[in-house]
Amino acid sequence: APAAKMAALGGGGAPWRRGWLPALQLVRRGSKAVTRHWKAMHFQRQKLMAVTEYLAPRPAIPPRCLPPKKERAEEDDGYTRLLRRQVEEVFRDNRMIAICQYNSMPGEDVVLMRHYLRKHNIEVKFVLNEVIRPMLSQSKYKNLLPLFVARNILLVSPELKAKEMLRVLKGVPQINLLGACIDNTILSRQGVENLAKLPSLEVSQGQTVGALALLPSQMSSLLRRGPAHLTALLDEHLRRLRAGGTGSPPQPTPAQGSGGG
Amino acid sequence: KKMASKISVLLRPVKSIVVRFCPFESNVESTRKFLGCISRKKIQATNRNCKVTADVRHDGSEPLVDVMFADGERLIMKGANLTTIEMLTALGFRCKAKALKEEQKSKKSP
Repeated sequence: APAAKMAALGGGGAPWRRGWLPALQLVRRGSKAVTRHWKAMHFQRQKLMAVTEYLAPRPAIPPRCLPPKKERAEEDDGYTRLLRRQVEEVFRDNRMIAICQYNSMPGEDVVLMRHYLRKHNIEVKFVLNEVIRPMLSQSKYKNLLPLFVARNILLVSPELKAKEMLRVLKGVPQINLLGACIDNTILSRQGVENLAKLPSLEVSQGQTVGALALLPSQMSSLLRRGPAHLTALLDEHLRRLRAGGTGSPPQPTPAQGSGGG
Repeated sequence: KKMASKISVLLRPVKSIVVRFCPFESNVESTRKFLGCISRKKIQATNRNCKVTADVRHDGSEPLVDVMFADGERLIMKGANLTTIEMLTALGFRCKAKALKEEQKSKKSP
């Protein structure tokens, strides 16, 4: 009813001049045009908005009836190329590459572990699976593919220091050794542990040389025994001759026996 | 869809967790991700005494998660055909149930 006062335009009754607009425009409920809460639009505006809503155009042929689009291979960006190049370098330059699963570790532990491994010339590299997988599938390391799932790190080194690496990793429970590629041979965790238990290269070389040299040395000592016996007897004879002067002639039988045997 | 890293598990009723898998097999992805999720700081902080061990083998065996609870119960999850989220929710559900039981017990006793 108060809104009806707005309708007092032109004509008859209380207003005393034509085209009179009421000075006061009373609106129901007392809220202004711009409110902080959501206010319903005027009904006419609602109707206008409903009529002018956006309708997406429908394609003449639904897309599922068309033949499927061939997926274009995504272009590499420079960063992925750089990472791939780095990984290729790593695989080329190092003799020992160990792959470990990385479960989140506190930062200081990571730094400490890196420090201990650096002392043995082992570097720690964080790798992304999506960079490594395509690279591995094309190279000769195809059997390492199933290892690269979930978060991994690589421990690479130009030397073989399996024992020290295992010792450091034992002190870090959050890193699990999965496998390694040592001298182009893929080893499992058990293989790495066995490798660590082997004696070092120099020791095993010495052992092989010793084993190989054993038989010939035995043979040479056997061959030498006869003549050595003969010379010993002759020396003894000479000694007796010099000492006595009446020494009896040497008995030929033992020398002949050892010479023939 | 829930992200595996958002699921939180209270490890208080758990004594130890052993995760066994063979990394050269192809069905170990969910088990490895499960191991990665449990080892996160938040979940480890709920129980410092809970030991998480990873048993890495090469004998073609199935991936396995062996959870030992403090009251003697054992939960074995064979991860070959389970997803990470399923394993985490299963473990979380049981841990919650046990924690509630303990709370009720401790409320009743005094």
